[in-house]
Amino acid sequence: MRVLGAESRRDYEIHRYPLLVYALVLLGALVLQAWLPRVVGRYDWFDLPLVVIVYFALGRRNPLQGSLMGAAMGLFEDALSHNAIGINGIAKTTVGFLAGSVGIRIDVDNHTIRVLLNFALSLVSSAIYIFVARFLLGLPAEWNGLTELLRAVGNAVIALVLFPLLDRLQVRD
Amino acid sequence: MESLFVRYRNLVVLLALLTVQLFGLALQVRRTPGGTSMLDSSDPSGVRLIRLWANALISPPERLVHSSKIGISATWSNYIDLVHVRQQNKDLESAVDRLRLEQAALLEDARQGERLQAILGFQQKYIYSTIAAQVYGSSGSDRSRDFFIDKGRRDGLKPDMAVITAAGIVGKVRDVFPHTAQVLAVNDTTSGAGVILETTRIRGVLRGDASGQLEVVGVTADQRIQPGEHVLTAGGDLIFPRGLPVGVVKRVVRDPDRDGLVDIILTPAAPLDGLDEVLVITSTEPRFPPQDEQDLAASKADEGAVPPAIKDQMKASEIMAEKLPGLTDPNLPPDKQPLNDNSNPNPAPPPPQPLHPDEFSPTANDDSGTTPEPESSPKQKPQMTPQRNP
Repeated sequence: MRVLGAESRRDYEIHRYPLLVYALVLLGALVLQAWLPRVVGRYDWFDLPLVVIVYFALGRRNPLQGSLMGAAMGLFEDALSHNAIGINGIAKTTVGFLAGSVGIRIDVDNHTIRVLLNFALSLVSSAIYIFVARFLLGLPAEWNGLTELLRAVGNAVIALVLFPLLDRLQVRD
Repeated sequence: MESLFVRYRNLVVLLALLTVQLFGLALQVRRTPGGTSMLDSSDPSGVRLIRLWANALISPPERLVHSSKIGISATWSNYIDLVHVRQQNKDLESAVDRLRLEQAALLEDARQGERLQAILGFQQKYIYSTIAAQVYGSSGSDRSRDFFIDKGRRDGLKPDMAVITAAGIVGKVRDVFPHTAQVLAVNDTTSGAGVILETTRIRGVLRGDASGQLEVVGVTADQRIQPGEHVLTAGGDLIFPRGLPVGVVKRVVRDPDRDGLVDIILTPAAPLDGLDEVLVITSTEPRFPPQDEQDLAASKADEGAVPPAIKDQMKASEIMAEKLPGLTDPNLPPDKQPLNDNSNPNPAPPPPQPLHPDEFSPTANDDSGTTPEPESSPKQKPQMTPQRNP
């Protein structure tokens, strides 16, 4: 993993996308996340909103945008469930911030690095979710290591396929 | 100050976002008297608004995706796949394959028809009023076991209505939107329903665990609870009617938190992971078949009329009353009738008279009777005069 200094990061291009791409990709992720579990049954080991948050936050290299995007997507996810609104929001806000912060330092055009980051941030998101639900709110939430690991693997596999496709939608000067 | 904000802008925004969300969470969770936390069952108005917006934004494309799935799969199997088959097989094999595809489609249609017929038959036989609904989406997270159906407030749905299938209970309506509704499945950790074991009649509370398994929690350990026993709704929770199938006992495990209690793991009666059509119980008022309704109406109409058999019995009782002595005397005026005589036929006997009355005897003061004498009238006391010896 190549770590870059603050000066050299300017040499890298910030990924830009049309506004419509942002809207459609984020909406599509939410819709598919709500619909696909009905098709795949109990094998819903993926979190599409998280994958697109990590992608855009890494590409934009902007923690602020990553945090806002993560908060919005997390709140939408919470609103579609019966859970308290804010648990996923906090988890995804933090993940968006971390992805944007890491994007400044790391060569995020490397697919392997992006996939590994997706894997790690999936586990971070699950850990924050469980922490907020169980320890801050005292709600019945249990850490199932195998499920969280499978979800992280699922997200990494989806990222492996999805990121190159989304790269094609970039605005190139 | 400004430069400090600009320098740490990202961190400040992150902290602001986290603080606002934590504050919002604090408003939604409340402490129970037992010291545990739980989500407020009724959303605050702001939270309800957010859920409404999210549903309004996500639900239409989700329903579109769901409904177009059938069209896409039909296009794939009837056009694209056939072209592929024709390219590979120019003779009899292509025809056989096409017939197989059609057979599969017909079989699927037949299965769906059977399923719908079964659910329709169940709906007609079921004593409560129900509405059939189709499941089209989920919450998208295995941490919350809920799903969306394509019927809402416009169809008469309300929160806390029971959702069932012909096989067993499924959940309850949690949130109702104009055209859709969110259903909380019984295998969610926050779900709860009163259940009873069919043969042992042991009662318990049904809920789901973190992995989505159905379990009856907090049951006193009992050797009679054996795998294979059927579990039914108890009807005490005011949501699920009594006697609906819930599941079958799979195994009994010790409660990790409380000694002497066990948790009963169930195999659900309804296929909770693969629901397509469900029924929502909209009214628990008994709904009888047309023949029974006619019988009820006829019996209500005849409520005032006296049947012939009862008339005969009444006539016989009147004849008997004439022959037996009664409390009415036709020769006496109404105010002298024995029925109106309030005098006591068996008066209490007078108290016995003492043989040697003294000043303490009840009869000694009979002159005063029961009424006390006035103070002004002095009592006559025996005068005691001293005797002088001459």
